[in-house]
Amino acid sequence: MSIEHHPTDSMLAAFAAGTLDHGQHIAIATHLVSCPQCRTFTRSMEQVGGAVLTSLLPAAMSNDALAKVEARLNKPMRPATMAETAPTVPEAEVPGLPKFLRRYQFGNWKWIAPSVHLQPIVLPYDSDTRVFLLKSGPGTRMLQHTHTGIEMTCVLSGAFSQDGSHYGPGDFDLGDDTVDHLPVVDPGQDCVCLVAMQGDLRLHGLIGRMVQPFVRV
Amino acid sequence: MPSENEANSDTVQWGGLISAIAQHQDRAAFAALFEHFAPRIKAFMQRSGASEANAEELAQETMLAVWRKAALFDPQSTGAAGWIFTIARNLRIDYHRRESRGGMVEASDVEIEFLIDDSPQPDSILATSQSEDRVRSALTKLSDDQMRVVELSFFEEKAHAEIAEILEIPLGTVKSRLRLAMTRLRNLLGELS
Ligand SMILES: [Zn+2]
Repeated sequence: MSIEHHPTDSMLAAFAAGTLDHGQHIAIATHLVSCPQCRTFTRSMEQVGGAVLTSLLPAAMSNDALAKVEARLNKPMRPATMAETAPTVPEAEVPGLPKFLRRYQFGNWKWIAPSVHLQPIVLPYDSDTRVFLLKSGPGTRMLQHTHTGIEMTCVLSGAFSQDGSHYGPGDFDLGDDTVDHLPVVDPGQDCVCLVAMQGDLRLHGLIGRMVQPFVRV
Repeated sequence: MPSENEANSDTVQWGGLISAIAQHQDRAAFAALFEHFAPRIKAFMQRSGASEANAEELAQETMLAVWRKAALFDPQSTGAAGWIFTIARNLRIDYHRRESRGGMVEASDVEIEFLIDDSPQPDSILATSQSEDRVRSALTKLSDDQMRVVELSFFEEKAHAEIAEILEIPLGTVKSRLRLAMTRLRNLLGELS
């Protein structure tokens, strides 16, 4: 299955530069897992980072800097903490969930609207962005909404249509405050997406007004 | 301005020094790398908003990590400068988190965040010094303005506002120039591969 919707080049560049907010970083990484083309571009951008680093006007180090580092060369390194964290979500439960995401803590599934459920992912660091899995049943008109910030979505399994485009596993969608989304899930299968959402979600319509108070991720 | 051949031999030289550390803990090689890269990493950190003292410390930590991770350096899949950049980048993220949160965060956690499903170097279809050269020649084809915004993308938003001021253009224009420059760079990389 081929991926048709990708993050913008400047988002991929920001990923490689390490300037993305943690939640957005996760959303881009989720896309990269299934997109060799974007992975190649981010690797190239890391080389660009090397070129930028090399081109900077050097800032003088203190006189004893090298000696200080040399004195530490043979001391052992501290082991990673997160690497040892046991996986929290069994693979079978969320099809298409990238391995790297299993290092995070997941909250419980919450009911949002008829056949729409949400499972928060707990980020270990403060982030402006909330990250969650959104599961919508076959044929669901997902909630029509706008938001106050940027929203990144990456499809894990299933598919939906939006504004005449089709989104399947690996496809990436960017929404901002100018977009009023009305995604419709394909028949036959649940659609699970990873969503990184900045700011607040604004739901439209009667259902939206009813569930609005509950949509606190 | 070094000729392209000199630039290439540079690439080989830095990579060779990292391999020398990996193979026989070559301290002279480390000193040579330190002399070249540490002051540039310090500049990178200062430009990212770190104080002079913190930038100095981060540059030292980066070089220490270069020594410790030398065995993981794979000249087939990355250039030396690009590899050192990723180490500096991860330490910068770690630094910002510690700064905003207090307490200890491990840089190795940041590293894990950049591993896409346990494949640290996916899709190195091209032998890498080749891909480093490719990136290098793509960069030479950008206009000065485009190169400036590409450079800028490696720093935080704050820097974007600064460049807007320097170039006397609105922040929105900086962002749209950034998008254009990235698209051009991507096309150039595509043409050269
Ligand atoms: Zn892609």
